[in-house]
Amino acid sequence: MLSADCCEDMSVVLHLENVSKRFGGLRAVKSVSFEMNAGEILFIIGPNGAGKTTVFNLISGFLHPDEGSIIFNGRHISRLAPHRAARLGIGRTFQIVKPLRNLTVLQNVMLGAFMHTGKLNQAQEEAGKIMDFLQMSHLKDFPAHGLPLAALKRLEIARALATKPTLILLDEVVSGLTPGEALALAGLVKRLPEWGVSVVGGVEHVMQVVMKIADRIVVLDYGAKIAEGKPADVVSLPVVIEAYLGAKYKELPK
Amino acid sequence: MTGLRGWKLVILIVVVLASSSLAFAVQNDYQMQVLFRIALFAALGLGWNIVGGYAGQLSLGHVAFFGIGAYSLALLTKHSVPLWVSVLLGAIIATAFAAVIGRIMFRLRGPYFTLSTIAAAEVLRLIATNSPFTEGAIGVATPALFTGRYFWKLFYLSAVTLATLTFLINFWVSQSRFGYYLMAIREDEDTASAVGIDTASYKNRSLLISAFVTALGGSLYASAFQFIIPDNVLTIDISLQMAIITMLGGAGTLLGPVVGAILLLSASELFKNRFKESHLLIYGILIVVVVLFLPEGIVGGIKQLWNWIRKKKAPASAGATTA
Amino acid sequence: MIGFFQFFSMTGFFQACIDGLLTGALYALIGMGLALIFGVMRIVNFAHGAFLMVGMYVSWLLFDRFRLNPYVGFLAAGVFLFFFGYLVYLLLIKPIRDRSDFMQILMTTGISLILVDGVQLTFGADYHQTNIELVNHTLRFGPFFVNKAYLLSFVIAAVFIMGLRSFVVRSRTGQALRAIAQNRDVAPLMGINVTRIQGVSFALGIAVAGIAGGLLLPALYLFPTVGEDYTLKAFVIVVLGGMGSIEGAAFGGLVLGVTESLTSRYWGQQWALIVDFVLFLLVLSVKPSGIFGRQRA
Repeated sequence: MLSADCCEDMSVVLHLENVSKRFGGLRAVKSVSFEMNAGEILFIIGPNGAGKTTVFNLISGFLHPDEGSIIFNGRHISRLAPHRAARLGIGRTFQIVKPLRNLTVLQNVMLGAFMHTGKLNQAQEEAGKIMDFLQMSHLKDFPAHGLPLAALKRLEIARALATKPTLILLDEVVSGLTPGEALALAGLVKRLPEWGVSVVGGVEHVMQVVMKIADRIVVLDYGAKIAEGKPADVVSLPVVIEAYLGAKYKELPK
Repeated sequence: MTGLRGWKLVILIVVVLASSSLAFAVQNDYQMQVLFRIALFAALGLGWNIVGGYAGQLSLGHVAFFGIGAYSLALLTKHSVPLWVSVLLGAIIATAFAAVIGRIMFRLRGPYFTLSTIAAAEVLRLIATNSPFTEGAIGVATPALFTGRYFWKLFYLSAVTLATLTFLINFWVSQSRFGYYLMAIREDEDTASAVGIDTASYKNRSLLISAFVTALGGSLYASAFQFIIPDNVLTIDISLQMAIITMLGGAGTLLGPVVGAILLLSASELFKNRFKESHLLIYGILIVVVVLFLPEGIVGGIKQLWNWIRKKKAPASAGATTA
Repeated sequence: MIGFFQFFSMTGFFQACIDGLLTGALYALIGMGLALIFGVMRIVNFAHGAFLMVGMYVSWLLFDRFRLNPYVGFLAAGVFLFFFGYLVYLLLIKPIRDRSDFMQILMTTGISLILVDGVQLTFGADYHQTNIELVNHTLRFGPFFVNKAYLLSFVIAAVFIMGLRSFVVRSRTGQALRAIAQNRDVAPLMGINVTRIQGVSFALGIAVAGIAGGLLLPALYLFPTVGEDYTLKAFVIVVLGGMGSIEGAAFGGLVLGVTESLTSRYWGQQWALIVDFVLFLLVLSVKPSGIFGRQRA
């Protein structure tokens, strides 16, 4: 799975069909449907509260849809527990990074590697390879809690990658980074499909990254999908512009 | 056992031999009894460490397993079950009990979990007090595993054996994927799930192991003091002691529980006159001080100091300039 | 259980319910105090019962030394515990406010041990009894008997329950507290002094426990560990009523009081505590958010 020679067949790796999720009276996700093919980099964008993180939680099993179905590589995964989704090949990062604070960077990544091996030294080796790819090997013995955000974001990705996923969910993975850091990380994300990993990213407003690396975009607003397509096409649609500008009018300045 | 080789193994053997030799060096029966308690609580602390230290689940109801071990020995032998078989059965019963309640309790998070552990142990204590089956508050006599002149020496050596066993279990845990998984659960359960860890299952497993060894400790204790009542072997005080000595020494470390047991019980003995009346006060102050100033415990604190001295902290610019 | 059917009488049943409600009001007060501290502020206070015990001792001291009737003295207990609680908050709770539940539980357990043993060293482990004339008088309502003293504490408790609820819902401090509970980072931007509000709320929760203690004094034997069971009962009440719900805690307290009373009557007093725990485990397993609770447990 995590190797340089990859599959270029256009099979559908992820398919959401009329997925809805409610929290009490609030409809966080309304009948969202989209599809993605293996090897793609798909970005879900939308203003704050549009439902991006909810969609990620639904795909990775942390939440279950009230209606609709989620199909991953031909399998229905709507009712799976999060650890099962992970074992099926769905890796994820969290919007607010969740490092294992009292463990070292290496140990953090090893946790991911442990999904495929029970041996300490093998896990160490695997973790080492991932950290090389993400250019963070020099950090390996540092405890996670002392690291700056940019490193923590990489750590999230490293840990998820170590589980050898076929699909990785990157929720706001570049938010909070300086433009330099963000573009650097984006460059790495762009290379993930070479390793057999399809990518779903979630972004609110770091648009340069999206434009640069996304193959396709899905736009959400108040839980519903309002547009889908290639970045250049979607971004100039009136309905998308209104969603962002209109939302900005209603929100307090950040 | 990978990792336990070379100098580490040597040190372990030396320590075990040295502790065992105390059995021959010390002639005073009372002092032997004190050493017995220290070794026993080191074992209990190490047992608790698996759940409370590595997995990070604050159980304050562990005395339930201790009590089951004690009562199993007392009641099974009354019904003609052989001595050592009763000890083993006691541990098995405790493990079965852990399997059942673990399922319920681990669904709860944080303080609710802890409260449920306290509740479970208290229910056992109340049942033992009010049930004719266990002779209630009057108590039950427990047979001694050893007899004769070397009574306390033998008990002490048994306790050292139990402590060594639990130490080895802790060591295995710390070097295995199982242990890493427990630590992941301790640090962040969501992250643990996201890397494929079935958190409920692993928490349960840690409890099973812990229950088994704690029950063995309970049987040993009951046998040494030969008479048990619910307020002795099912009291929350013992749960607290297990937690405190581990926290004081350093939860999640190998040596922490041992250091904690030695320190706390020695201090308790040394200041016996004043301490005995106000030992709870001292415990309380100790807990407060540890929580405020030394949450990693003594061993944990030393480790942190060591890391700080070797300047293991990441420089602020790490990761920002790579491209 | 056979006894249940042989001796069942409607009068007995309702008498037990009445007794349960009388005690329940005090439980409600204790529970509301913890609901404020644990439910709203998410501080795991395992020392709640110990503070209640201190309240009892304060009332008892005033009665013993100054002949002050506990039905007046309880106020002094409340005031003392308010300031004491505030001090404890500043020195011991605030520094660990953001640490894990684990640490808070350990810390408050430590505080509990200090309080209990401290009291024992100061006043001895002897049992004390407070003899108030009023306890010996009973009112009759038809076939039912109501102890005058317990009725008085019920009324006083009811007043404080409603007062506390009003305070939390209507007062600026109460609203500020809820604002903090919702979003601690934003609250200071709205001019809220987080430390002070939380300190006041903690102190209030403790004070209320002290008041309950003072009111309980005439009904119980007093000894240093008398408060232990009440910490657990308080958590049971908070869970029953639902996290973060002050009204729920009041209701939970009444439910607990009646349940205990009925258990005592039909199975014997010693089973009451067991039933508390079983009820607790049941609610946590079936509906962790409690009867009135919101989503998270």
